[in-house]
Amino acid sequence: MARRAMSRLLVPAAIVGAIIAVALTVSLLPLPDPVKMSVATRLAPPGLAHPLGLDEYGRDVLSRILWGARASLSVAFLAAAVAGVIGTILGLLGGYLRGLVEIVTVRSAEAVLCFPPLLLALLVVTLMGPGAATLIVALSILYAPGYARVAYAQTLAVSALDYVVAQEALGARPGRILLRTILPNVAPPLLVQFSLTVAAAMVLESGLSFLGLGVVPPAPSWGLMIRGARSTMEQAPLLLLWPCLALTGTIVALNVLCDRLRDVLDPRAGTASAGFLGRGIARILPGVVDPATRPALLDVRGLTIEIATSDGSFRPVRDVSLSVAPGETLALVGESGSGKTLTGLAVLGLLPTGIRATKGRILFTGRDGRTRDLACLPEPALRQLRGDEIAMVFQDPGTSLNPVHRVLDQVAETIRAHRPATGPDAVAQAVGLLKEVGLPDPDRRGRSFPFELSGGQRQRAMIASAVANGPRMLIADEPTTALDVTIQAQILDLFARLRGRGSDTGLVFITHNLAVVAEIADRVAVMYAGEIVEEGPVGAVFGEPRHPYTAALIASVPDGREGRLESIAGTVPPPHAELPGCRFAPRCGLAAPECSAEAPPLRDIAPSRASRCLHWRDVA
Amino acid sequence: MIPSVSRRSLLAGAAALPFLRIAAARARTPGVLTFGLSSYPPSIQPWANTGTAAGTIKLAIYRGLLSYDAKGVLRGELAESWAAEGTTAWVFKLRNATFHNGDPVTSADVKWTIEQIADPKSSAYFRAEMQGVERVETPDDRTVRFVMKQPSATLPLWMASYHLPIMSRKSTSAQPIGAGPFVLKAQERGVAIELEAFPKYYKPGLPKLKGVRAVAYADENLRVAALQAGDVDLIEYVPWQSMEVISKDPKLNLDTVDGPFMYLVFNASKPPFNDARVRKAVGHAIKREEIVKAAFFGRGSPLAHLPIAEASAFFNAELKDGWNYDPALAKKLLAETGHPNGFSSGLLSTAQYGMHKDTAEIVQQNLAAVGVNLELNLPDWATRVALGNKGQFDLGVMGTATDSNDPDALANLIDDSLSPSYVRSFGLKAPRISALLKAGRAEFDAAKRKAIYKEMETLAIAEAPIVGLAWRSQGYATRKEVTGFKNLPGALTFHSGITLEEASVG
Amino acid sequence: MRGYAARRLLVALALIWVVVTFVFLAIHLVPGDPAELLLSQGGVAPDPGAVAELRQKLGLDRPILARYVEYVAGILHGDLGVSLRDEHSVADEIRLRLPRTLELIGVAAVLALVFGLPAGTWAALRAGGHADRALSVLSGIFLSVPVFVLGTIAILVFAQKLRWVSAGGFVAFERDPLQHLMLLAMPAGTIAVGLSAIVFRMTRSSVLEVLGRDYVRAAQAKGLTPRRIVLHHVVRTALIPVVTVLALHLGSLLGGTVLVEFVFNWPGLSGYLVSAVEARDYPEVIGIVLVISVLFVLLNLLVDLLYAVLDPRVRHG
Repeated sequence: MARRAMSRLLVPAAIVGAIIAVALTVSLLPLPDPVKMSVATRLAPPGLAHPLGLDEYGRDVLSRILWGARASLSVAFLAAAVAGVIGTILGLLGGYLRGLVEIVTVRSAEAVLCFPPLLLALLVVTLMGPGAATLIVALSILYAPGYARVAYAQTLAVSALDYVVAQEALGARPGRILLRTILPNVAPPLLVQFSLTVAAAMVLESGLSFLGLGVVPPAPSWGLMIRGARSTMEQAPLLLLWPCLALTGTIVALNVLCDRLRDVLDPRAGTASAGFLGRGIARILPGVVDPATRPALLDVRGLTIEIATSDGSFRPVRDVSLSVAPGETLALVGESGSGKTLTGLAVLGLLPTGIRATKGRILFTGRDGRTRDLACLPEPALRQLRGDEIAMVFQDPGTSLNPVHRVLDQVAETIRAHRPATGPDAVAQAVGLLKEVGLPDPDRRGRSFPFELSGGQRQRAMIASAVANGPRMLIADEPTTALDVTIQAQILDLFARLRGRGSDTGLVFITHNLAVVAEIADRVAVMYAGEIVEEGPVGAVFGEPRHPYTAALIASVPDGREGRLESIAGTVPPPHAELPGCRFAPRCGLAAPECSAEAPPLRDIAPSRASRCLHWRDVA
Repeated sequence: MIPSVSRRSLLAGAAALPFLRIAAARARTPGVLTFGLSSYPPSIQPWANTGTAAGTIKLAIYRGLLSYDAKGVLRGELAESWAAEGTTAWVFKLRNATFHNGDPVTSADVKWTIEQIADPKSSAYFRAEMQGVERVETPDDRTVRFVMKQPSATLPLWMASYHLPIMSRKSTSAQPIGAGPFVLKAQERGVAIELEAFPKYYKPGLPKLKGVRAVAYADENLRVAALQAGDVDLIEYVPWQSMEVISKDPKLNLDTVDGPFMYLVFNASKPPFNDARVRKAVGHAIKREEIVKAAFFGRGSPLAHLPIAEASAFFNAELKDGWNYDPALAKKLLAETGHPNGFSSGLLSTAQYGMHKDTAEIVQQNLAAVGVNLELNLPDWATRVALGNKGQFDLGVMGTATDSNDPDALANLIDDSLSPSYVRSFGLKAPRISALLKAGRAEFDAAKRKAIYKEMETLAIAEAPIVGLAWRSQGYATRKEVTGFKNLPGALTFHSGITLEEASVG
Repeated sequence: MRGYAARRLLVALALIWVVVTFVFLAIHLVPGDPAELLLSQGGVAPDPGAVAELRQKLGLDRPILARYVEYVAGILHGDLGVSLRDEHSVADEIRLRLPRTLELIGVAAVLALVFGLPAGTWAALRAGGHADRALSVLSGIFLSVPVFVLGTIAILVFAQKLRWVSAGGFVAFERDPLQHLMLLAMPAGTIAVGLSAIVFRMTRSSVLEVLGRDYVRAAQAKGLTPRRIVLHHVVRTALIPVVTVLALHLGSLLGGTVLVEFVFNWPGLSGYLVSAVEARDYPEVIGIVLVISVLFVLLNLLVDLLYAVLDPRVRHG
């Protein structure tokens, strides 16, 4: 993504660079003197000698535009930069040190905001006399508080983050923390601020010139040119067009540049998904499913997921097959990056933009007994299944609940999305659900906002929302990872209880925690680097692993008696490095030459057991 | 077909709708003239100078002893006749006129008015002049006799100024009572002033209008737009760039005179401009056509002598090109004064008014051609005035109109005996000019006066107490329906408000 | 909570005091003498005696410290003084003009929100697409066209060519509501152009950020319609920073609409301020700045309240 953003940066950067280069080198260009008057030929239309014509004093307009770029840009850039430096320092200090410093820096900067900008400019210009330098001073004073505010707010947010707190605990000096840790994190919004400020400064420069408070004539500036051209608008309307065009073009180029720059510095903002608007159907496959191969509930066959990047595409999930019967719990186990979460998201059709399921089928049998291939179901049909027949519980309840809505409403909205319930009805049902998931005092607690609940309570609410419509299929993506150990146990109990209702809900439990698997699952599928390496009933797999990775995973679980953690040597290969042979071979103690020759398929090795290892018999 | 028809009629209806609304919005009261002022008068105190916009309003609601007719000739107003008695006394016979409160205008009111202006606590424009009145005698209700401390030939000119209206002695500062054709009806501060015809105005049949609504339009472009759009009937200060368009518009009339002018003032208290030859060199270095063309869009004329209009009886044709464009002469004069390669200096003007800024830009360019490099200083008007009054400048651009077309009005610009002011050169020593001005003021014989002022101008060309740059066209524009309003000639252009009593809107 | 409010109020009062004092000093420091200026209208030399008398009458001959003390005492009694030009009450004039400027800003803000919010949301949902790019360029244009150019063109088109409205001006609402609104539309629209571009940009980036949040995916997993997700989950949260930025800009528009007021002849507070500065009408300048800074402080409080409405974490935290 970053490289793509970089390349998108090129064009606007080149344009802005060209504008700046013109401003810097204008004195070297073979242009007529921008202040040389020729009143006799004033307002001459564009011609060969003067491509953009002559202005109201008979001065060459093209030359004035290019020279004007120097004045307008240097004023705008310098003012924005000076304001940026001062404002950022004030905001950083105020936000990090707080207390008296905050009052002196941030609040005093706000005093400036109390002034009407024009009065401030007027006072500064009247006191210092008009001119470019005065203009820079006035605009800097004017724009510094804006930066201070942004930097302040951002610093407040960042300095509460774990890694800053950690650095403080390690005894790092405040100066170092501010410069090395906080500044880079507050930079992206400041860059946006910079683009806005440069644009605003250029517009204000023209406004002040209009009022006679700007650059001193006869030196050209775009603002002065616009002012001059306005009075000759009827005689020579083009004179108004050129400087306006220059101003607008520069500002647009600057805006685009700063937007793209932000994408590079802060990739999170750029990659947001809007896929739900109209998810393209990955493939058009016949929707009819062979009745003979009809699965019990969920049957994923040969699922492959591709991520397209500017450097080509890679496959973080390859040829994954798994099935879940009604009432069965399947644990999907693997290290982070193994593709288990993407697999879960693919079932719901919630893959982020740019990531697509390109091969395989996701067969799901609904309440009506019909089997559909979710991989090629259109978005509206899929949406009807989501939250109703297939539900998902996410890893972090803190971020997966909307902070500005009450918990109860968030549960009720799942019901109302699929059932024709009235508001009060849905709320009443939601209270019942919250009670069922063990939220104490659900009537009152339900009316809380997520931040008012503990992590465990939030996850209970998430689960209540997921099971609200009695789904046939529940996918839980590391639902206990973000919770304390004791709370983890309670939530697992909750899952066990929900399953124990005698329902025929199928559960896919995605986790990296083998202890959890042993406690909750019927069967387990182990994923490594995008592939399922072993699958089978929990007892059998844990008792007799038939893939070296599984065996290593089991061995790495801290054993109370031995008190020793055996980690797996080596690292997971990056997803875009596709090896020809077994993907675990580089880390495998049993690896032989044939392992690297060809990718081994997942093979049935016993009834309801499968392994991808060529030497499964040798796995102890 | 039916849907298309109904759609079309719907469109027609929608298009017509705004126009219907406009008809309602622009419904004007018959007989009421809407006047687009260039600014909202800061105050309309009768005797203080608060600008030309205020002057127009004052001319509508107050009357003085004398005034000017449409040709600029002095005429009686509240006074039906006037005559000098010797050289130090003037007698005015009042006519039968009525103040807005219904009281008759009497000699006692005139006396009271003069006393108010001459009061040590007054801030009136003619304060000094009226302090030159020895006493005001009121032999009867209709006769006023001014006895002057010194011979004053120009007293009638002062009495015709809009800064010297006769007010009822029952006036208070909050409630001034004048005798003009209109009564102040309402003021929406900063927006508009509404005037209503005064039914007991002493001229029978006047005013023709039922009222005047004066709306301030500070933006000159908007002022013109408002006239073109029919929002206003009459505008003052027609911007020069719009004169062409307005004069070609069949629905509009343009009435312009060359009255106000631009000129240069010097800081003569220090080198280099303490040397008359340097000042004269500046006068010869300016291409005045360029100023007329670039600053005034050709609406004006070069001014290479003192601002005495060609139509004036005091115009001296042989001095017309006193400071003609002659760069060689300018360089020679500079070389004589020890500046063979020119020098660097500052040029004070203001960015607040386009004509001051534009003129300064041309002057800067022109003087650069003879080696005088000027750095522009363009603060706001208030700062410019302060700097001018304190003499914190080298060379300054100014623009104004004299009080009247009489050459005595020039004293304000070149009399070195007057206190320092931004309208004059600072620290100027020109005693012979002041002496001649004083002599002219005391001289009652027309031929002798002409000779005095000719000598004065000849002297001024050599000493260059100021340097004339350009006459600028001062314009009023009206809708064709407006009749009777007239732009008074020359320096009297700002007295044009007097003709509002004759104006009517069709 | 009460302690926090009290501290805030104290800081706000100190802020206003600093601003008033600064303006008082600055405006007196700036060259230019109100008495001299008043009598120098139209490039005329005033009588020095008259100027001296006027100075005395206006109290300009007294030491600045005495005038400052007197002025502050006046403020504490709710007295903003009278204009040096015509002894008109400053408070009365502000009372008259402030609503006009607030109206202008308010209508502009509403217009900016009406256009900027949906456009920003829409562009964010289609980030990188053609519509997004077109809107981004358009917003750049909107941001960069000076209001006096826009205003002049608007007058040319709507007043002179189409004759839909008068060429600027002001008619009181109670006098002619329709005309009032029509005259309001152009200047408010002109301000709204730039403002809507700002709202657009803020909304777009804010919505983009929210779209990446986990709870949006969770909402999708619930099977909510895109419409509900966007309106209920995305825009609601994305509004918070937009409101802050908009409020800041509105604050700077108090007294910052001078060009628009000038071009459209709208007799608001900004034009009043500029004419007061130009005339060095000290009581007027300081009075206006005082009112503006009080409003600004109030606006900040209002933003905090709005924050609390939009973000329960603030409300309860």
